[in-house]
Order: sequence, then C-alpha cells, then structure tokens
Amino acid sequence: MDVDVVVIGAGPAGTTFARIAAQHGLEVVVFDKRKEIGNPVRCGEGLGAREVVRQGLELPRFVYSTEIYGAKVVGPKGQTIIWRGKDTRGWVLERKFFDKWLAELATDKGAKIKVYHRVVDVIRENGKLVGVKVSHGGREPFDVRAKLIVSAEGMEALTARKMGFPTVHRLYDVDTCYEYEMQPYDHENLIELYFGNEIAPRGYVWIFPKANRKANVGIGIGAHLTTNVKRGGIKGADPKFFLDKFIGNFEPLKDSNTLLDFGGVISVGAPLAKFTMDNAMVIGTAAKQVDPIHGGGIALAMEAGFLSAHAAIKAFEEKNFSEKTLYKYYEKPWRETTGKKLQRRLLLRKVLEKLNDDDLNFIFDNISADDLDKVMKGEYAGVVKKMLVGRPQLMKVLGALLS
Amino acid sequence: MIVINHDGCILCVGCASVCPKNAIEYIGTRMATYPELCIDCGLCVKACPANVIEMFPGIKNVDELPKEVRRKYKLG
Repeated sequence: MDVDVVVIGAGPAGTTFARIAAQHGLEVVVFDKRKEIGNPVRCGEGLGAREVVRQGLELPRFVYSTEIYGAKVVGPKGQTIIWRGKDTRGWVLERKFFDKWLAELATDKGAKIKVYHRVVDVIRENGKLVGVKVSHGGREPFDVRAKLIVSAEGMEALTARKMGFPTVHRLYDVDTCYEYEMQPYDHENLIELYFGNEIAPRGYVWIFPKANRKANVGIGIGAHLTTNVKRGGIKGADPKFFLDKFIGNFEPLKDSNTLLDFGGVISVGAPLAKFTMDNAMVIGTAAKQVDPIHGGGIALAMEAGFLSAHAAIKAFEEKNFSEKTLYKYYEKPWRETTGKKLQRRLLLRKVLEKLNDDDLNFIFDNISADDLDKVMKGEYAGVVKKMLVGRPQLMKVLGALLS
Repeated sequence: MIVINHDGCILCVGCASVCPKNAIEYIGTRMATYPELCIDCGLCVKACPANVIEMFPGIKNVDELPKEVRRKYKLG
C-alpha cells in the first residue's frame, strides 16, 4: 500500500487532519487500533465552542448530550462562584458519536479509515522514515509507505516514541482520573468544578451536565501523589477512593445510579519540545497539547489537526517534507499562539498546586466571577494584587504570577 | 513483571503513557505487557486510576508466578 499520508489514531486530531487533507486532494489513510472509533471513552467530554466555530462546523444534535451555558466553581468550604451567559459556551459531548461523526466527515471527503489496524512499527530506509507496518487484528503485518506520517495517538503515543519523539509522561505531569456517568442529577447546564486538597489533591472533582438528568462525574488528582496504598503494597494516587468519598458526602448524588464506569489519565505538563521531524508530525494529545488547568484536549486536538493538515498541503505543494517545512507551517504558528497561552496556563497550574486549603478558602472568599474570567484569559496581575492585600503571605506562592 | 487484572481494567492507557520502557501497550482489545522489557519501576501501578496492576519484582515469566497469583489473575 502506497499513500501520501499515514495518520495514526482516529480521534479528533487524526480525523480533523484527514478531513482537511483529503479535501485538498491528498491521499490519506487513518489507522486506529480500536475495534470501534470513540470507544472506550476516556474523558469528561467537555468542548468549548471556539474551535468548532473557527472550523465552520455545526454539531449535529446526536453528537452532544447537552449545551453548557456557564460554569460553577466551588471552594473547599462550599463557596460558590457562577459565570453564566445567554449563549452556548460549549457542549458536553456524547464522545463516541462525536468522534464517529468527525471520522465520517473525513471519509466523506475521501479519506480512508481502518479500525482494528494497529501500527506495530515504523519503516526506515537509510535512516529516513518511509512508512509503517500495520497489523489488522493481530494478523501478519503489512507495509504502508507514505511521504508523511502523522501521530495522533493520544496519551500512549507508542509509534511517536519509535520515531524518536520523547512522549513518555512523568507522573508529576499527569493527573490520574476516575469517572462515572450518573443518573439522576438535577443540574443547571453548568460545568461544575469542586476544589480542595481534601476533595481532590492537585486536581478537582467535575460534574459535567448531560441530557435526561444525567451527569459525567469525575475526578483527576496528581499521579505522583502517594495518598493510598495500592495493589501489591505500593503507595500511589487513588482517584476512585477520592471520587467515591466525594459522592458519598454529596447529597444530590449520594443515592444516584452509575451507568458507566470509566477513567483515564490527563497530561497537565508542557507540550512536547518538538512536534516535527523529517517526514513526521505529532499532533493533539500525543504532542501533549492539553490545557494544564482544565485538562481539556479535544479543541486543541482539532486545532492541531487543522494546522498540521495545512502544513501537509504546503509540503506536498512544495514537494518538501523536511522538518523545516513542517515546522514553518505547523509548529511555529502553533507555538506563537496557542503555545504561548498554554505556557501561561502551566505557570498557573504550578502555582495553584502549592496552595493549601486555608489559601484556597481565602481566595474563594474574595474572588469574583470577573476575576476568574481574567485569570482564565491569562491576565493574572490585577487579581493577584487584590489577593495579596488581604493575605500578604500568599506572595511567596502567587508572586510567580506577577511577572 | 506486572500483572494486570483485565476484569477491572478500564483501558485508559495510563500505564502505557508513563512506562519508560514500552513494556505495556494497548493492542485494541486489551492491555498487553512485555515482561522482558519491564524494569519493575512501579510507575504504572502508581498511574493506574483503577488500581488493577500488581507488580512482582524480579519475575520475568508467567510460569514463575506463585500458583495462587496465576489463579487469581486467570493466567492458567
């Protein structure tokens, strides 16, 4: 088999790439090792409206469970701050249907998608990447040759590792997450986030609203923490323990039913130092393009799919698949825009994780919805100064946000 | 080597994402492990949100696992 581009992984990054590249006449094949696109689900399913609008997409009704009109952030003592807008700010997806829909948009444009096809290795000739070896359901692998290989593999990113990208995650830069889909829960179409070191050390509990009085209820905590004794006597982070404790103490969910039991890990560290090399690109979560504050990766994956597809189109026009070309059209514009924003977010994460519950309580008692809005936009200085007036000892921790 | 309780595994690939030796891989239906590559570092045990991984340091082969462990994890 001989194609223009091989894409590994049929998540939002891979299928967005495939849709745009195929639309511009490139011959693209996407391999996914799962038997079904979008299954298993491994996330909170939240998606903001911005990237969807930018790509001119309109979500059909079946790919999302409910619209979101705002957010509710709750502090350790139950202090509640609410932002609410008139317009839809985003959706809680039915992730399985969403991923399939994105895949169908790509195949409509002529991209090929093969599920239950696992890339088992890369093929090199004279040191140059020229293709991949692929096995269909564990059968004898066959060769696929391509000018470009795009890793959109998500957290694991094993093929990208084989290409030479250092995609292994450090425990400190990962949140380990457990989730339930629960019913009934009477929500207000708001994303709900609960903070506190007793509730979720270095993380938060989320309740994302879903249709029919349902909710995606989950927790992420720092994977480097040693909160519990795990199997075999090894100390580690046990998100399920904290989630069950939260639900047990939370009146509106205490007696609700669990319809789905799942989980995952989220990258909350810095993006990969390098997304491109000769004949290869890494996009989406495989490149650790994840927001270190809220852990969202779908919009960033779609954005990287979009940018890298345009880089691929340029590379084919110029018949040049070097790292330099791919860097120029994909990595450089990404780092100058989204990369800068994520750097600010990472700084904020590293500051927030140093706060104890007394600090958190002070902040929640004194911060307004407008302040939070500024913080989320990366405008830290004014809000930090306001906090320091009442609690100067926070300078040690929050000072880093003033530069 | 490590042993995964596949009954409780939620296929999140957390273990594989932190494994420094590529000794764990999601193969589309389940997590596969490669004991010959495992260095018994325990990072996967710590990262696993479902707490379904158990480590048996120094062991490189399923046959060397105690009988009750093989029975517990349905390893024949």
